[in-house]
Amino acid sequence: MQGDFYQILKEQGYALGMPGQSGAGQPLTTATTILAFKYCDGVLVAGDRRATAGNMVMYDRTDKVLEIDRHCVMAIAGVPATAYEMARVLEHSFKYYRRTQLQELSFEGKLRALSKLLKENVPAALAGTGAVVPIFAGYDADQEAAKIYFYDILGAEFEGVEYAVSGSGSPTIRGILHYVNTWGEQPLSTMSQEQATIQALRLLTCAAEFDSATGGVNREAGLYPVVKLITAEGVTAMADPYLRSLFESNVSKGV
Amino acid sequence: MYEEPYRWVEAVGNRRQYLDEQFAQGSPVVGVVCDQGILLMTMSKGTPKLYEIYDRLAFGGMGHPADLEKLRFTLLEMAHVEGFNRSAADVTGSRLVKYGIAPVVKQAFEEVFKAPSIVKIMLAELGQKAGKDNFLTINYDGVFEEKNQYAVLAATSSVEQRMIEYLRPQSCVSLKEAVDLVIRTWAVGDRAQRQAHELRESHEGAKESSDQLVTDSQTLLTHIRQRMEGKMIECALLDRHVSGTSKYRTLGSVELKALLPSDLSSALT
Repeated sequence: MQGDFYQILKEQGYALGMPGQSGAGQPLTTATTILAFKYCDGVLVAGDRRATAGNMVMYDRTDKVLEIDRHCVMAIAGVPATAYEMARVLEHSFKYYRRTQLQELSFEGKLRALSKLLKENVPAALAGTGAVVPIFAGYDADQEAAKIYFYDILGAEFEGVEYAVSGSGSPTIRGILHYVNTWGEQPLSTMSQEQATIQALRLLTCAAEFDSATGGVNREAGLYPVVKLITAEGVTAMADPYLRSLFESNVSKGV
Repeated sequence: MYEEPYRWVEAVGNRRQYLDEQFAQGSPVVGVVCDQGILLMTMSKGTPKLYEIYDRLAFGGMGHPADLEKLRFTLLEMAHVEGFNRSAADVTGSRLVKYGIAPVVKQAFEEVFKAPSIVKIMLAELGQKAGKDNFLTINYDGVFEEKNQYAVLAATSSVEQRMIEYLRPQSCVSLKEAVDLVIRTWAVGDRAQRQAHELRESHEGAKESSDQLVTDSQTLLTHIRQRMEGKMIECALLDRHVSGTSKYRTLGSVELKALLPSDLSSALT
């Protein structure tokens, strides 16, 4: 009667992220670039679309910015199998809580839920078969503000006051975000939706330039990064034609 | 004392009588399909009687709140575990009822040494395609029925029959028309239940009232207005047009005010 869906799963014998000795040493699908920053209406979360295993490109159409409910997204970096499983557990947990308790789980409660899953996943993360380093962003209805949190593989949670990055391409853009936010024409938090989207496309293009495991824009195939916005109204995904027009007018000239 | 078959049959008969009395003053539940989705309606004193079960499933109930809660939790757990282990498309009202709660309700009804579940349940299911909407109703003895366009719950099957007779020939397309129709159908059921109850109380007859079916809208709306004192109209919609996976939403007081017939919306606090 506690509204805890994960507990029900565990009682039925479900276990997340079992460490697999035989899997260690095999190339796993990992590496990525995800980012989130605050802009004038809320939070923008974006991610490239490449999934790699070692030096192999496994897939170029991955959606790493997963909508967990109407007001929250989880951007994933790390082993996709575990990350997608975590997203599924969270999605069902939040729905189950809302439907049983007849109220939304608090934003704080949602953050703890992800932290708990990461802690349960520590053996697999340390064995090298299931490390996940996500960013969780959402609209906190109590505080009337959109917020960003990032995690380490052990489940510690940190608030990204202005921005957060994760994945193999993140060192490249972390410095840029700091520079733009501190000495740029305007801080990130005052940018309009369009300016923020342009920044996200530029940042991911930079990451792809220096990190082979991050997929950039593939204009021939019509592949653009996933960009989602979180505001008081909920989560909105930016459509590819909109991203294409912004990319062509504001990003591609410099590439 | 129940080891002999006829005693068991007698005990079950008594149980039926006991349960019928429990529902005598309950609030009917009405569900209809319209363009925008499936609308469910009832009148409640504060504890809601309409709930969300899964992405496309809504629940309406009559009976004891504790029994309803128990079965609601059973449905929620089954639906979410199934949705997680398989997929949302595999969570269907039909499977939840037939293999889930109907056997539980039936068993509780027939185990004469234990308390029965004082429940009547309606599950509404919004189809993936137009024309695939579905209703399932479960009686307190575990008997379930499937319907397409509408479904009702009321104290007795004869009251339910009256509500269906009123509902069947009418068409509703828009949400406003659907709200109007469910409200009037609820009034038909509630009025019939009250008349039957009063007759029993006055010992004029143990059977249901046999007076004519009242279909005059004004009489029905007047009845609703009288019954609205200290109660609230509860409406929930499985909305085809809502974005995202969860289609269930309740109609808030502002939206309801705009949708109700004008002489009722003024009575809404």
